[in-house]
Amino acid sequence: MQRYLGTKSVKMALTVAAAILLVAIIALLGYRNNYGPKAFAQWTMDGIRGGSIYALVGLGFVIIHSVTGVINFAQGEFVMLGAMLCASIFELDLPLPPAVKLVVAIVASVIIVTLVGILLERGAIYPARGAGVVTLIIITIGATIAIRATALIIWGTRAKIVPAFTNLHQNDLIFRPFGLTLGAQSLWIWGTVALVLCALLYFFERTIMGKALRACAVNRRAAELMGINPSRMSLLSFAMAAALGAIGGVVFGPVIRPQYDMGLVFGLKGFVAAIMAGMVSPLGAVLGGLITGVAENVGAGVTGLYGYKDLIAFVILILVLLLRPQGLIGGEERGVEQS
Amino acid sequence: MKKIALAALTIFALLAVTISACGTPAPPPTPTSPPAAAPTPVAEATPIPEPVIGTTYKIGFAPAVTGGGSFLGVPERNVAEIIQASLDEAGGVTGPDGVIHEVELIVGDTESNPDVAASLARRYIDEDEVVALVMGSLTPISLAISAVAMEAEVPYVSMASAGVIVKNPDTGEVYHWVFKSPQGNLEVAQWQVERLTAMGAEKVCYMYENTGYGKDCFNNSSAQLTAAGFENVFEGSFERTDSEFPQVPGIEAAGCDVVIIGAIPPGAANAHVAIRTALPELPIMHGHGVCVADFITVGGEPMEGAEMPCSAVIIAEDVPADDPQKEVFMGFKSAYEEYTGEPVSTFGGHGWDALYWVVEALETLPEGLSLAEQRSAIRDYIETNIVDWPGTAGIFTLSPEDHAGLDYTSFTWFIVEDQEFVPFPQEDW
Repeated sequence: MQRYLGTKSVKMALTVAAAILLVAIIALLGYRNNYGPKAFAQWTMDGIRGGSIYALVGLGFVIIHSVTGVINFAQGEFVMLGAMLCASIFELDLPLPPAVKLVVAIVASVIIVTLVGILLERGAIYPARGAGVVTLIIITIGATIAIRATALIIWGTRAKIVPAFTNLHQNDLIFRPFGLTLGAQSLWIWGTVALVLCALLYFFERTIMGKALRACAVNRRAAELMGINPSRMSLLSFAMAAALGAIGGVVFGPVIRPQYDMGLVFGLKGFVAAIMAGMVSPLGAVLGGLITGVAENVGAGVTGLYGYKDLIAFVILILVLLLRPQGLIGGEERGVEQS
Repeated sequence: MKKIALAALTIFALLAVTISACGTPAPPPTPTSPPAAAPTPVAEATPIPEPVIGTTYKIGFAPAVTGGGSFLGVPERNVAEIIQASLDEAGGVTGPDGVIHEVELIVGDTESNPDVAASLARRYIDEDEVVALVMGSLTPISLAISAVAMEAEVPYVSMASAGVIVKNPDTGEVYHWVFKSPQGNLEVAQWQVERLTAMGAEKVCYMYENTGYGKDCFNNSSAQLTAAGFENVFEGSFERTDSEFPQVPGIEAAGCDVVIIGAIPPGAANAHVAIRTALPELPIMHGHGVCVADFITVGGEPMEGAEMPCSAVIIAEDVPADDPQKEVFMGFKSAYEEYTGEPVSTFGGHGWDALYWVVEALETLPEGLSLAEQRSAIRDYIETNIVDWPGTAGIFTLSPEDHAGLDYTSFTWFIVEDQEFVPFPQEDW
């Protein structure tokens, strides 16, 4: 016990020292390259926007992993499907006013992607439920490739356009507070992430269904003995994760031009966010996503090494796995080490 | 395991059904194969006297269909398929002595890899006994092929842009067997220098996509711009899938007069929109990779005022009828758009020009030549007879001293106005 506390405080001290060093380097680089507070504010704001989507993807990872122990690498593809479907449905020549059409497109694409998630669980994960977790993870990788290839066949390589929610136009309304550039869509994104997080926390803490999900995560056999059907819970977790991914894709659609292969990047970054949450904590996933997004943007911006933007996210991934495998938030006994 | 495989198969099928059932149009990503040109009996098509069928001519064709050059290689491959179909339909080429020869394009893939390309070239020459090579979408690959072609004495037309492919930069020696059809990033950079001079700019910021094309844009432009006395104050790469651009505050801090972006859509459009939104007054220039309608569609309103050099083929319909290139523009554009269902790619045009040089040369070959004589005759024809030759990339004039036949003025300078590419000639700058 004594020795354990010792390693913990060494880790703590190292982390604090590294953080101070990092801030010092960033400040020095910023000073050297003439970046004022405005540049930093812009990077942070952009980073929070990008991080929000990582957060939503990370939430999907966390939900599926905490219930089934599976890391669903198809999570990023749900984002892609959400955005692409929304764009395609909005493009259809429906006799509806644009605003209604957008709502229809959003609802329809989220429902369709949820169905895809259900199909994935019932068609590929459930039949192989007796196999080990590693086999199931490999199945999700297979599903990723299958979904991406299907998207390529359906939509080709061309980029799609999802209109901005505020002005229903492909070019968003821009606010310029204090000389910064802020798209109205960013507000939609942040609102969605906040809403989703609140809903999830309520669901997990206050509803029977949510508690049943958590019970499965803690001890599958015990949950089964209490009359919870783990296979139904697994299905529910995949449906929820797919819906979250689709919501992410839909709200993020207007700020990126969705393409069939966009899921890969979001999947990997969302995975980083989920690892920062120790694969168990929804709040941690959101925090992790935001931290990843901001670190990427500020890091790339201030160093000028724009080509290494992705590297920053994966360095964070390795550091978290080495220093805090249980995640940023959360106790000692939960986390990836345990599973 | 069987069960899992079965399940995977089922889910794949179900996915396809679910997604396509929601009413989205489903255009195939790869062009459907051309209507199989029925090998019409030549005897029926041509009048008496009975035509003589000569040997089949083989052309070794290999762009970079996969790998870093695939944005060039795929349109070029499409063009080869179009030309093969039209040659089959015509029954081949007719020589000056009336003998008809079928033409076979042996289509391969260099995989954007010089080693693969060189061994492919060797196989074409030794095993397939091709009369000419049309290969190589990228410069390093073309250099590898050109070494093989020169050693084996086979005429070789490259679809890559750098001048070093056809001319030794140190000795000024023009490589006897090697030609190239495109103008490329070097010529783009020369145009950009002209335009920057006219604008009176001094400091330039450069953004490029982290791809083979983007890096080549950057390398050529930075060399040309520095040589012309401009100061390169900022360089930043980005990825096609980027949604945030931390480069923008950097550009603002660098205080440049113009931003140049070296990328293809949609990345080029995303970067353009990010800069334009934050810095509405800053002029933005592009390379010739954005000469496709998608660039404007994807970007929308903020694309107004974007400037770039393009082949006039993108506005083929608006080119005056007396323009010598009008016919080839219309022919290429309509064939390409009909075959692929996509807007015309100026890159495909490089394959078009190169292949038609060779096909035109084949029409001058009499029957009965040995393979070595055929190869040599094709080389001589291209060098001496491609003069004032209207192609998709410009009006070519080849000579023993010039195996490329174009300079940067073969590009037209364009500006985006009212969501259209509009020519912006030098006189109006």
